[in-house]
Amino acid sequence: MRRLGLLLRLAAFSLLVAFLVMPQRFAPLFAPFTEYGAPPIYDQGSLLALAAAHLGTVFLAAAASTVVAVSLGILVTRPSGAEFLPLSRTLVGIGQTFPPVAVLAIAVPLVGFGETPTLIALFAYGLLPIFENTISALQTCPSSVIEAARGMGMSSRQRLLGVELPLAMPLILEGIRLSVVINVGTATIGSTVAAKGLGEVIIAGLLSNNTAFILQGGLVTGLMAMLLYDGMAGLEKRLLRAVHVG
Amino acid sequence: MIQLESLTKQYGPTTVVDGVTLAIASGSITVIVGTSGSGKSTLLRMINRLIEPSGGRVLIDGHDTSATPVHLLRRKIGYAIQGHGLFPHRTVGENIATVPRLLGWSAARIQARVDELLRIFQLEPAEFAAKFPHQLSGGQQQRVGVARALAAEPAVLLMDEPFGALDPIIRGKAQQDLLDIQRRFGTTVVLVTHDMDEAFHLGDHVAVMSQGRLLQYDPPALLLTRPADPFVSRLTGTADRSLKLLSLTTAGEAAEPGVGEGPSVPAAASLREVLSDLVWSGATAATVMRSDGTPAGRLTLAGILARGRAG
Ligand SMILES: Nc1ncnc2c1ncn2[C@@H]1O[C@H](COP(=O)(O)OP(=O)(O)OP(=O)(O)O)[C@@H](O)[C@H]1O
Ligand SMILES: [Mg+2]
Repeated sequence: MRRLGLLLRLAAFSLLVAFLVMPQRFAPLFAPFTEYGAPPIYDQGSLLALAAAHLGTVFLAAAASTVVAVSLGILVTRPSGAEFLPLSRTLVGIGQTFPPVAVLAIAVPLVGFGETPTLIALFAYGLLPIFENTISALQTCPSSVIEAARGMGMSSRQRLLGVELPLAMPLILEGIRLSVVINVGTATIGSTVAAKGLGEVIIAGLLSNNTAFILQGGLVTGLMAMLLYDGMAGLEKRLLRAVHVG
Repeated sequence: MIQLESLTKQYGPTTVVDGVTLAIASGSITVIVGTSGSGKSTLLRMINRLIEPSGGRVLIDGHDTSATPVHLLRRKIGYAIQGHGLFPHRTVGENIATVPRLLGWSAARIQARVDELLRIFQLEPAEFAAKFPHQLSGGQQQRVGVARALAAEPAVLLMDEPFGALDPIIRGKAQQDLLDIQRRFGTTVVLVTHDMDEAFHLGDHVAVMSQGRLLQYDPPALLLTRPADPFVSRLTGTADRSLKLLSLTTAGEAAEPGVGEGPSVPAAASLREVLSDLVWSGATAATVMRSDGTPAGRLTLAGILARGRAG
């Protein structure tokens, strides 16, 4: 069963790489979706470069979301920051419920076109899973373990770094993974404000009524999200085994 | 010497520990008993200031504990709790090394201490040091918890229902281990329990708490023979108090001079066990034997019975 899973993943990964490196080879597959002799494969730029830029944006936004959400999660679970918990929850919740497209619309007049407004939208959209997981992980740390740590004279900093965060790690990493995967899809909207990414392929398809482009953009994005979800889960397992939690 | 002086804890209008004053001799075991919610844990946790007192003070060897930064104070006081609180992501060895590491001991000294403690608790270092807590049985986890509390050779060890979750046989073993270790290191132990038998077995002194107040602080025998309050009698139970009293004295302590007839009993046995022996065998006297096999005197049924009465 595990071997089959590994094989499937390997196949999906090879397919993705092959398509990005030599998309023209796949032209016959996409030809049925074009009309009037339109190009079956996206030809206004390198797919590989677009995919790389797409991932770059997602990871940059995820890094920022992680730093902010984890720090905020730590802060509001300390006794001194507990009073900010409801407010932070509301703010982070708004970040998730406010449509990313609307964020773009607001951000563009302020910061101009390009990657920056996309980063802002993805950053806000990706906070919630990381923040909520951080909080619940820190709040559900076994009380006897915390009590023992206090009783042995660990400072609050030593408790946080040596006990609470390592024990919270599995949930925090899961939050980051969810955030990344959600944003791989969401990042396609960045192309509406001229950020480099796979959204360009989809938009080009929409504008020229070329279903093949739309399919390519969608499939590559979906495949990347799937493989990332899987790959990050594997990395998480290794990391957690290395620090002996999970 | 630990001195509690009018130690008080209030949460809003409710007083959960009410002006407790008592002196605990160095190298002794004091057991705190009382009904649930009587303030036992609160009292215990004010000693290492996991709970900040609302009033009164705690002196350890004459020093007011509020003069030391809490984390430094706690590193000098062992603390073991029910459910052990072991760090699940650290090995047994690392768990035990926690406080020595905080104190900045050298790696070699830590290693030596961890091995020593594991051996004392009958956990072979080669087998157990690298295991994780979840790979141990409940009894083994509990032993590691106590070993961890003793790691930095604290003069004082606080224990909150440390054996509460163990089955009777393992619990008996854990109690014996504690007594051995306490004698070996001369540690001052303050232990909270619900189990009166445990209190009588372990305690040099027993402190009885009720509704935040200390009702009596005396050696176990005095709790039985001179209860300070009807509540104390209720707590210790009156139905088998004579047997409890007998269980507090060993045959060696009670032996009268002379050579005995009847069955021979070890000097370390309690009078309660000797009585049971006599009832069982139908004899009226027993010979007390030292562990080296020499006779230490004799015990008569009448003599034993006289010791099972107050006064
Ligand atoms: N943080 C707190 N705020 C308010 N009341 C508290 C707090 N902590 C404890 N109490 C109350 O103080 C009283 C004493 O609690 P404590 O834990 O010392 O009891 P205990 O004797 O150890 O009981 P048990 O045998 O059940 O462990 C209880 O009535 C409890 O409800
Ligand atoms: Mg308690």
